Amino acid sequence: MIDIAVRIIIYGAVVSGIWALVASGFTLIFGVARILNFAHGTFFVLAAYIGIVLAGSGVNPYLATLISIAIVGVFGLAVYTGLLSKIKEHEVMVIIVTLALALLIEQILLLLFGEHGLSYPTLIWGVVRIGKTPITYKRILAFIVAIAVIAILEYFINRTRLGKTIMAASQNFEGAMLVGINVDRIFKITMAISAMLAGLGGILYSQIFAATPEVAMKSLIFAFAIVILGGLGSVRGSIIASFIIGYVITIAINFLGAQWAEFVALLFIIGILVVRPTGLFGVEE
Amino acid sequence: MIEAISIQNAKKILPAVLLLITALAVPLFLPEAFVYLLGLAMLFLILVISWDVIVGYTGQVNLGHTVFVGIGAYTAALLQVPSRFSGTIDFLASLPQPHPIISILAGGIVAGLVGLGIGVVTLRLKGYYFALVTAILPLVFMKSVFVFSDVFGGEEGFSIGLERSFSADTTVRYYYALAILLFCFVAMWLILNSEIGLRFRAVRDDEELAEAVGVDVVKYKILSFVISSFFAGIGGAAIVHYRITVSPDLYDIPLMLLIILSAVIGGLGTLYGPLFGGLFIYLMKNWWLKELTTNLPSWMPINDEVVLYIILIAVAILAPEGAWVKIREKIKSYRTITFSEER
Repeated sequence: MIDIAVRIIIYGAVVSGIWALVASGFTLIFGVARILNFAHGTFFVLAAYIGIVLAGSGVNPYLATLISIAIVGVFGLAVYTGLLSKIKEHEVMVIIVTLALALLIEQILLLLFGEHGLSYPTLIWGVVRIGKTPITYKRILAFIVAIAVIAILEYFINRTRLGKTIMAASQNFEGAMLVGINVDRIFKITMAISAMLAGLGGILYSQIFAATPEVAMKSLIFAFAIVILGGLGSVRGSIIASFIIGYVITIAINFLGAQWAEFVALLFIIGILVVRPTGLFGVEE
Repeated sequence: MIEAISIQNAKKILPAVLLLITALAVPLFLPEAFVYLLGLAMLFLILVISWDVIVGYTGQVNLGHTVFVGIGAYTAALLQVPSRFSGTIDFLASLPQPHPIISILAGGIVAGLVGLGIGVVTLRLKGYYFALVTAILPLVFMKSVFVFSDVFGGEEGFSIGLERSFSADTTVRYYYALAILLFCFVAMWLILNSEIGLRFRAVRDDEELAEAVGVDVVKYKILSFVISSFFAGIGGAAIVHYRITVSPDLYDIPLMLLIILSAVIGGLGTLYGPLFGGLFIYLMKNWWLKELTTNLPSWMPINDEVVLYIILIAVAILAPEGAWVKIREKIKSYRTITFSEER
């Protein structure tokens, strides 16, 4: 019994940390540019595959990780400038284009790598035991990196000048323009940050579990559940919600089995929408 | 004056009559395999135009339309093969098999009720929540097919048997499909061109203004969603009776994208635009696109879906109001006479 509790507490924390990275990026670009990015999971998967390919061709795994995160950041920027900036006023089209892009890349990855899972090269070896529960260093590393990056993100948004301009743009887009903020530049930076956060999440995830092209869409379910609970557009809300959803999912998987994770997430979403539709820290739309 | 009106009416009716005659005559001249495909395309069109009701006319982005297609399909299929319930819900297993028309209607009604439930929860809120929730519905319902595979048949789905289809004859089945499409099209056309349709468009164009002039916005959004889901369910159930099998592809996201692509190419909020867009896309995909892409060198990561997604992105960026609408505007601008017409 205690073993199960320990396992849930620790595995849940790791998963929650990874989802916090993904969800905070998703909510950031929504809050700032009102872009509902259905291709967010694509950044997640793409970073993992780029890293796997690079490491497979002999690049040092740590270097491969940094390069793939950078590539995904640039890709996010390209998606914004090449596609989304042209149709930003058409909310319907933004959703359709990002969804089509997500499926396009999923198909290409399927054709290139097949549907079987690929594991990310191990960045750190070793296992520590708490009671009977084995905890790999990989999980510990994922947790530490996720928490550190979230802390940096919080600091960046609340303390630095650039972060404050991003928050200003998310609170009031027209007001930000009036006080002389270059909103278009902010959108681009936010999109790159958002993509890199998802990419880092994908790398940490695929190191512990495995990357399959399908994970792009699956990860969206959890990201949606998190941002709806945390409140669309609230970064802090999504970080807190990540840990709630992360534990709920971990408990559900532990007692019901992995195939129930999606059902639980959906039920949770519907529950939140019935009881408290603005989430914990929702921003006015 | 009266003459002018009747000429204009005739001008509007004539293409529809010609189209109908063509649709009726087509099976006499084409090979059977193509007639079969064309019949499936007819039923696919029901899915496309019913999607246009909620998205094009009411402005709510529904990304889970295939859920209602699948619900309609599985409802009809299980009504025809109730023995699949034995072992799980035994009292259902002994139900008598209803007439296909009844099971198609039942498919529509169950889909409409599920739409009502989801609509009541999500459409009270701003549009973003509706898009988010509907987007993940197909993934969850897909999963249900595998989790309860005793009933739903898992990946393979199951067959309802040729004797439960509309007819053993392909041509007769084609006419059934055409008749169901016509029924659905006319029903939706009448709804959308009534007072109710006007309110849908008011909600789409300016929610606050619609509220201000006394339209119950939430009520009409939900109504539109239920109507859309109902016809999606009818379409899904009819597909089962047409092709005799039900399988999770009816829930799946590629079908969703095919519906979106058809409607976007045809032009959202026009009903007949998506009709032509759907016919074009469906026939292209199943007739020659697949063959074309399988002949490409194997190192190229391109299949028919990749091509369709690229087309969708391109159309959405270049002509967000729809390729068909854009072409029509081009033609119109050559003419000197302009007449005002609703979107």
